[in-house]
Amino acid sequence: MSLIEVNHLYKEFQVAKRQAGLWGALRSLLRREYLTKTAVRDVSFAVNQGEMVGYVGPNGAGKSTTIKMLTGILVPTSGEIRVNNLIPYKERQKNARQIGVVFGQRTQLWWDLPTIESFELLKQVFQIPDHRYKQNMATFADILGLDEFLNTPVRQLSLGQRMRADIAASLLHDPLILFLDEPTIGLDVLAKERMRQFITEINRERGVTVILTTHDMSDIEKLCRRMILIDNGQVMYDGELVLIKDLFGKERVLIVDLEGETDSFSVAGAQLVKEEGNRKWLRFNRELTTASQLINRISEKYEIKDLTIKDTEIEEMIRHIYEKGLAVYEMNSCRIENNKF
Amino acid sequence: MYWEFSRKSFQRSAAYRFDVWTRIAGNIMFLFMWGFIWYALYYGKETVGGVSFQAMLGYIMISQALQGIHGAGAQLWEIQERVRTGDIAMEMLRPYDYTTRMLFSDLGSIFFYFITAVLPLYTVLFLVLKPSVSLTLAQMGLFIVSAVLGFLIRFCIEMTFGLFTFWLIETGGVEDVFYFSISLFSGSLVPLWFFPGWLEQVAHYLPFQAIFFVPNSIFVGQLKGPDIFNALLGQAIWLLLCFVILRLVWHRASMKIVIQGG
Repeated sequence: MSLIEVNHLYKEFQVAKRQAGLWGALRSLLRREYLTKTAVRDVSFAVNQGEMVGYVGPNGAGKSTTIKMLTGILVPTSGEIRVNNLIPYKERQKNARQIGVVFGQRTQLWWDLPTIESFELLKQVFQIPDHRYKQNMATFADILGLDEFLNTPVRQLSLGQRMRADIAASLLHDPLILFLDEPTIGLDVLAKERMRQFITEINRERGVTVILTTHDMSDIEKLCRRMILIDNGQVMYDGELVLIKDLFGKERVLIVDLEGETDSFSVAGAQLVKEEGNRKWLRFNRELTTASQLINRISEKYEIKDLTIKDTEIEEMIRHIYEKGLAVYEMNSCRIENNKF
Repeated sequence: MYWEFSRKSFQRSAAYRFDVWTRIAGNIMFLFMWGFIWYALYYGKETVGGVSFQAMLGYIMISQALQGIHGAGAQLWEIQERVRTGDIAMEMLRPYDYTTRMLFSDLGSIFFYFITAVLPLYTVLFLVLKPSVSLTLAQMGLFIVSAVLGFLIRFCIEMTFGLFTFWLIETGGVEDVFYFSISLFSGSLVPLWFFPGWLEQVAHYLPFQAIFFVPNSIFVGQLKGPDIFNALLGQAIWLLLCFVILRLVWHRASMKIVIQGG
């Protein structure tokens, strides 16, 4: 029995259609036409206790919508969600006790109260026992450095501080599951790193199950073993991050800066993926061609000024999946939900 | 647990003292405005419709005092704003009922406003202006009961109107309807007994009169004896009805939440 179960989940929104022109405006006063937008279509997955799952996709893919349904704010159009055996939207309050939620884009603290009072209010709201509250506050203050702004009203906090306060607030009541929706959005490199460390620790030490949405791939790379990739409301990939990396790990990109006339550039064993004047991006499979072979071949015909070799980045991998579809990758243990893309 | 919200909201009000002063200033300006209007209308007359000027003065004073108290809670536009920005959805991630917590928050700020502003101010005003108010202790008690019922009715109605924002994009119309109804039909400005017969009939079948008119009338002694109990019963029925409607609307609204962002 998994902690979180999602089966054939759909969410549709009705969007009012605007009619063009004056006549259209008048007509829409009486009768409005709606377009149905499907934000989440036929999504299924299961998450076990203690897992840390990255829920990834481009903007507007349906990530947040899924999270909002898991937390009980949104009501699914159809399909089934169970979070620790509760149906979130039916038992919102019960569900709220077992989950912690952080939305990167908005705070759940009370704007005009000093940060510490928001925490105290949460203590009452969740009826957290005194000693537990103190323990948690001490731990979080320590790792997240909350002390420096505990007495500042939430509205005056910097984004980084606010995120730290928000994540501490979401964990005060020792939730089973932590939902993080874009937790590192807008943070600088240092703050991001700090946040990631904290999330890792919470997952490891307390066994909190973490579901994390982001469009920053480095978050996922650093944090998660498992990734669910979603686009257009559909699951494109669900499996080990390592697997997808392995799949693409054979590929490298060689970037060369050349001298002279290079208009009709091509080289055997590599694919020209991008070019900007004399700078060429060449993708090659390192099991078939080595970098030195490739460089040799190029230097026979051209003068190489500079070169770098790069791993394929995950963003690039995702683009591949989009382009080629998923059928090819239906292998090993990775569960592919949908391959008719 | 909900009391904690009252406490926090009490503290918050204390932090915004300037707000209290501006509210008080506005409240008094309206009191004097209405005072002078009624003074002019009564000019040269002992009574109008059997009501003396002194009694009328008592009516508008208690009406302004009550309105001041009501105004310290969350306003319609605030509720609309919360729906619009999605803040309300964030609160649904908490293990409490949103409308109940709003009520308790309101109680906190109202209590603060009441003890720091309304009570001392109006005590002085009543002593200075000496409107004719002859309340027995029992009547005073009934007035308080009635004022509390009126407050709860107004809370339910305002909240319900605020929640309509879930279905509408532009809510200016809802606001207009609400403020128009509450200023005219509640008897907050003009007591219902001065209404033309047909309008009085209309007002009597609306919930708004239960907000200010009933407690005001008890206060100035226009409602007496068994009439008071009938009026209180009427208020209780309206409260029940408004509460049920609020719960229904809230239930529907919370199923219909749409938040920006994919």
